[in-house]
Amino acid sequence: MTILLQVLINGILFGTMYGIAAIGLSLVFGTMRIIFLAQGTMIVLFAYLTYWLFTLAGIDPYICIIITVPVAFLVGLGLFYTLFKDAAAIEDKNVSLLLAVGLMYMVDNLMLTIWTANPRFCATSYASFTIRIGDVNISFVRLMALVIALAAAFVVFYFLKKTRLGTAVRAAATDMQAVKLLGISSNWVMAVAFGIGIGLAGLAGVVMASVYSFDPNYGFTFALKALVALTLGGIGNVWGALSAGLILGMIESLGAYYIGAGWADAISYAVFILVLIFMPNGIFGGRAAVKKV
Amino acid sequence: MANPLLEVRNLSVSYGDVRALFDVSLTVEEGLIVALLGSNGAGKSTLLKAVSGLIHPSSGEIIFDGEDLAKTSIKHRVNRGIVQVPEGRRLFSNLTIVENLRLGAYLPRGRAAYKESLERVFDLFPVLRERQNGKAGLLSGGEQQMLAIGRAVMARPKLVMIDEASLGLSPILTKTIFELIAALHQQGTTILMIEQNVNMALKHCDRAYVMSTGHIVMSGSGEELLANEELRKAYLGRRAVIGNQEGES
Repeated sequence: MTILLQVLINGILFGTMYGIAAIGLSLVFGTMRIIFLAQGTMIVLFAYLTYWLFTLAGIDPYICIIITVPVAFLVGLGLFYTLFKDAAAIEDKNVSLLLAVGLMYMVDNLMLTIWTANPRFCATSYASFTIRIGDVNISFVRLMALVIALAAAFVVFYFLKKTRLGTAVRAAATDMQAVKLLGISSNWVMAVAFGIGIGLAGLAGVVMASVYSFDPNYGFTFALKALVALTLGGIGNVWGALSAGLILGMIESLGAYYIGAGWADAISYAVFILVLIFMPNGIFGGRAAVKKV
Repeated sequence: MANPLLEVRNLSVSYGDVRALFDVSLTVEEGLIVALLGSNGAGKSTLLKAVSGLIHPSSGEIIFDGEDLAKTSIKHRVNRGIVQVPEGRRLFSNLTIVENLRLGAYLPRGRAAYKESLERVFDLFPVLRERQNGKAGLLSGGEQQMLAIGRAVMARPKLVMIDEASLGLSPILTKTIFELIAALHQQGTTILMIEQNVNMALKHCDRAYVMSTGHIVMSGSGEELLANEELRKAYLGRRAVIGNQEGES
């Protein structure tokens, strides 16, 4: 029982990054109708930024958040206006998708050149610190990851629900042309959604650098896991995406412990396919996602 | 006659190589209800989209309140007071009614009078007040049309352009919607509407333009056109001729 609990908690804490990344994918998909496959690559890129800030400037990874996230947001705006703005206006979404794939490979290889394939890690003084509750050990940095993910989800949720621009972002997911007709700039709506998506990648990057040792090849795997979480959670649902990320983490953790570490990925993709077959709107999804494809 | 609020002069629009509008001119005076009639593909929606800024004309002028808007953004036009209620309502079905209305008042022009506009919309359409926190997607067809019009009213427009308000509505609901449009008009809003329901449109409008294959082929007061059997036969299709009873759908 204690072991099961420990495995589940590890899974939850492991799944936080999937969750944050999935929220980002959800925002980008909602407004631009593309699967932003470079999301994982962006996470690794910002993990490296955090790593540099930590090793070269001696800034604590958690303090890095106030640098990394705004930088990531601006990178997102920049990427949108330079790469995706014109592509987003085209009916054929394959153009945007191919751009995302191209960006992914370019940045992946750039990172390989700059940082090599050697795993990196922010060796903070508290990296191996654990909190013991009963018989269960909880890693401090992973617990922080959960706290950060919850805070991020709350901020995004608040933005989408309570601000005018956030409401426009949600509206854009249903009908971009109707948004335009109200005089709202569709480009700005997409740019902001994209900026927040990349901003969340920045946040996930900080978490990655503080919890795991990572290398440039992590990106694509993470993008796929985030995509799985997005599908499980139902597109356009912040809490759904986060919860699905946590559930995915638990499934992997359970699979790795009880069946074998090598099985974790196979199991998560099998779950992905099963959910697509039986619950195409996701576990928490309503009908909204399927109505408009 | 009142001052022209909207004057479209020699407007031409092409979709690629296909011309959709040929030198179309039309005038909407302040305070009137003007109807745009014609069969499918006549160019009515194209004309409305060109005025709202969704598509760009290849030539011609769109004079609104003394300013040529032909080359300006949708945002500018909404801020000047032109709002389009699109065909098929195009509501944000996953958002609540209030959220839909809030987005209608997104730009400074609407935002400045948000509270008053909201009251005005709720007074016009009491059902929206009752269900203000419900999802727009759960409204009935007629209620959705009310919300679509209400969302446009939130922008505090001088001119509301309505594309097919009666689309898919029962005769009774069509009548209700027309009465509500008339009420909105009573409050001083100028209205330009596309309508398939020719009899209803001609009864309610001050003037109507009839379009065919990208041209305006006829215009006149509602009564004049209502009396003109030949015209109805030629341009408005059989349905309009047979349909004597009110509110055929």
